[in-house]
Amino acid sequence: MALTITCPICGPRNGYEFRYGGEEKGPRPEENNLTPEAWCDYVHLNECVAGVQQEWWFHRDGCGAWFTIFRDTTTNLQTEQPEASQ
Amino acid sequence: MLFKTKPMWGRQTGLKSSYDVVIIGGGLHSLATAYFLARDYGITDVAVIEKNYIGFGGAGRNTAIVRANQRTSQNVPLYKEALDLWPVLTRELDYNLMFNNCGNLNLMHSEAAMKAARMNIATAQFHGVESHLIDAREAKEMVPALNISEDITFPIHGAMYHPPGGVLRHDAVVWGLARGAARKGVEIHQQTEALGIGTQNGKVTSVTTNRGEIQAKQVLVSAGGYSAALIHGFLGIKLPISVLTIQAMVTQPLKPLLNHVVSSGAYHAYANQTLKGEIATGAHMDPWPNYTTLNTAYYIKHQAEALSEFLPCLRGVRFMRIWGGLADMTPDMAPIMDGNNQIEGFFMDCGWGYFGFKSCSAVGKYMAEFIATNTCPDMLKPFALQRYQEHRLMGETAALVSYSPDN
Repeated sequence: MALTITCPICGPRNGYEFRYGGEEKGPRPEENNLTPEAWCDYVHLNECVAGVQQEWWFHRDGCGAWFTIFRDTTTNLQTEQPEASQ
Repeated sequence: MLFKTKPMWGRQTGLKSSYDVVIIGGGLHSLATAYFLARDYGITDVAVIEKNYIGFGGAGRNTAIVRANQRTSQNVPLYKEALDLWPVLTRELDYNLMFNNCGNLNLMHSEAAMKAARMNIATAQFHGVESHLIDAREAKEMVPALNISEDITFPIHGAMYHPPGGVLRHDAVVWGLARGAARKGVEIHQQTEALGIGTQNGKVTSVTTNRGEIQAKQVLVSAGGYSAALIHGFLGIKLPISVLTIQAMVTQPLKPLLNHVVSSGAYHAYANQTLKGEIATGAHMDPWPNYTTLNTAYYIKHQAEALSEFLPCLRGVRFMRIWGGLADMTPDMAPIMDGNNQIEGFFMDCGWGYFGFKSCSAVGKYMAEFIATNTCPDMLKPFALQRYQEHRLMGETAALVSYSPDN
């Protein structure tokens, strides 16, 4: 299962150099009036999309950058942007 | 279909427009739930719908290992009951499930791991599950092929020995349960893909499939690794699940050398010898969510390195086949079983990670009770989705050092 991730600094690299950082869920919720539902949603819950999703990666064995990419979870191929916006 | 028109479980019936219960997914949890619905509650107006064929997913891809030496008091009794059910089901289904309770040996590679094992063993013994701590020399006596020298990457300090565990033929469980359920009146429909779940006034009303709409009073999603995507896609319910690929492989057949299931957390490897003589072995998961079941050279190399260290007689042995399956991992390594909670009549049984096979018999029994009585059995209460919101994560994984999809 080949996985190539494009780091914004280092360019395309082997996927095993990176650590997956979760689905993109928008900004961290405000602490004021934070409900358990909203916190649980942000921390734990995933959409588990079978298709293109925006997700975080950390270049662990490289430059240490955190960044997001779009990837099709059914093919492991990176895409430029989600299908819907193409 | 040209030569064989009759499926192994009996006569194929047409898909009706209405059922009491529709179960999405044709794996072991679905078939077991259908079987126990019919056996214990006389509920037979049940359709199990499967996109591919029964046993296509995790049911036919796991490494067939069963055990009941999990970590917490909520989980151990469930797995113990599952383990106790295999001989019962073998008789009842009149199907040879080839249960070989050869025992599991979990290798420990540090004093800290030995301490953790002591706690697991205490929990197991408290719940009446046989489990012992043994030292490296005893492990070597049990498995002479083990390398207990100190010059390997992770020297063996001892092991957690769990005699009642072992291996079971996973395909036979699929076929036995399918035939058993079908004989009691349950319908199994392959090549039937669920496309949506219809609701009205907070109640489940129907399931849309590629073969038309089916009215249903109750719907269970127990589709293994695909459950989370289906549940979110159909009902907008998000789950604390990450779906990862887990790979396994078998070597060429060898003369008998391994009479136990041997596993190692430090080496991320587990191995047992099948009755054909192959060493069936699995690895850790690829640590990023995806729905492929593709293989990597990375894991063949990893597996070869691990096995040739702690079972050095396997050096030079060839791998014959490799395959992958999906594991739907939760943050606390414990499953999610819930029902009538988000939507009346909607049940889910997912988040099993790589424990779906060993649990299927007991879970089928309890999910059937849940569906039939509309009351959550005490055994399943701790597994509700709500626990994540309440910060009551189960301690099935010892410590969440860094929160990642493969906890």
